[in-house]
Amino acid sequence: MNKILRVTLNILIIITSIAFAAGLLDLLFSIQYANREIEDPAKSYAGVFEYEIKHRAYGEIMGSYYSKRMDSFDPPAGYEDLYHIGEYAHTSFMSRVYEEKGDPQRADSYREKKERLKKELGSYEYTADEIDGFLCHEK
Amino acid sequence: MICENCRREIGPEEPKCPYCGAENPFALQHEQNMRRFDKRYEDTQKEVSGFGRAVEGLGKKAAILVVLLIGTVVMFVMASINYADPDEEKAVRRDAVKNAAVYAEEADGFLERGEYVEYVSFLYAHELMNLPPEEFDRFRCVQNVARDYYECIGLMEEMILRSDDPEYFDSLDTDIRNFCMYAEDYCEVLEAQKNSEKNEAYLAYILDMDTELHAAMRTYFVMDEEEVREFLDMSRAQKAVKLREVLRHE
Repeated sequence: MNKILRVTLNILIIITSIAFAAGLLDLLFSIQYANREIEDPAKSYAGVFEYEIKHRAYGEIMGSYYSKRMDSFDPPAGYEDLYHIGEYAHTSFMSRVYEEKGDPQRADSYREKKERLKKELGSYEYTADEIDGFLCHEK
Repeated sequence: MICENCRREIGPEEPKCPYCGAENPFALQHEQNMRRFDKRYEDTQKEVSGFGRAVEGLGKKAAILVVLLIGTVVMFVMASINYADPDEEKAVRRDAVKNAAVYAEEADGFLERGEYVEYVSFLYAHELMNLPPEEFDRFRCVQNVARDYYECIGLMEEMILRSDDPEYFDSLDTDIRNFCMYAEDYCEVLEAQKNSEKNEAYLAYILDMDTELHAAMRTYFVMDEEEVREFLDMSRAQKAVKLREVLRHE
């Protein structure tokens, strides 16, 4: 009886020691994981954004704008240019829709908003003309 | 006690009578009993001390086992905490429940201003689109229509503003496929929600969204109202063919 107990305890200690060693390793890896360098998504997106601007891929920019806005209604740090261009493009798109719809009041207010947003584009102000060109089929 | 042979008084533990030399049976029995008791005592003593020696190391081992077990569990728990990334959505959902009344008012503001795309973006950003709190029950119909309207407008913007650079990846076919799917959903949802909406103001928003979507299609797909209606009645595949024709000038 004692011998069985002793052997059982020894086996349990061996198994638990292995689990302990595995737990220790897991803990070390988890600490490494928790302290890993996380690449700022805004930084990695900056390259994509520049590439899209270079190729006048405003459709892709709108896709990113809508997708990002689902997470954050106001522009998060690093996405300000995306939000400015996205908002300008949407305003420009809708101003023509309101004209067609026969809603001059809203069309005027969107035209004014467009002008204001255009000024906020800063170094990307030229994109406003390109966007308007696409929307008016002046490719 | 009395000797059975000479009838004189003798001690109970004396093995023989000191007077006649006869054997004392009681003393013999007593001695035998004592020997038996001594033997039992020794056996019990051996047994007890043997068990003690046997379990001497077990206590220590059991203690080691318990410490190892506790240590292992603690380490695995700490590791799982380290591996878990912060759930930002959970915090947003908590905020949505806490400020539901305020957000509902803001949502009403977007609808009043006719900013339907902003309305949907706002709901998504605050995790109010799926499983919203009860303060948003009144928006159910308008929200269902707005969701498809939002997808249609977004995809139209993506299609119209697609790159004209032939070297850039062309995703127009994917966008057309998605637009046709959402346009079909939009028509079905619109019919159902138009009849279910009891609030006149929200019904007006639903109809306004429909008017806007038609106007957007007339403007950017270069169609008249009749063509837009025909387009919306088409099957998904027919819609895709028609859109390729319009957008690619095929």
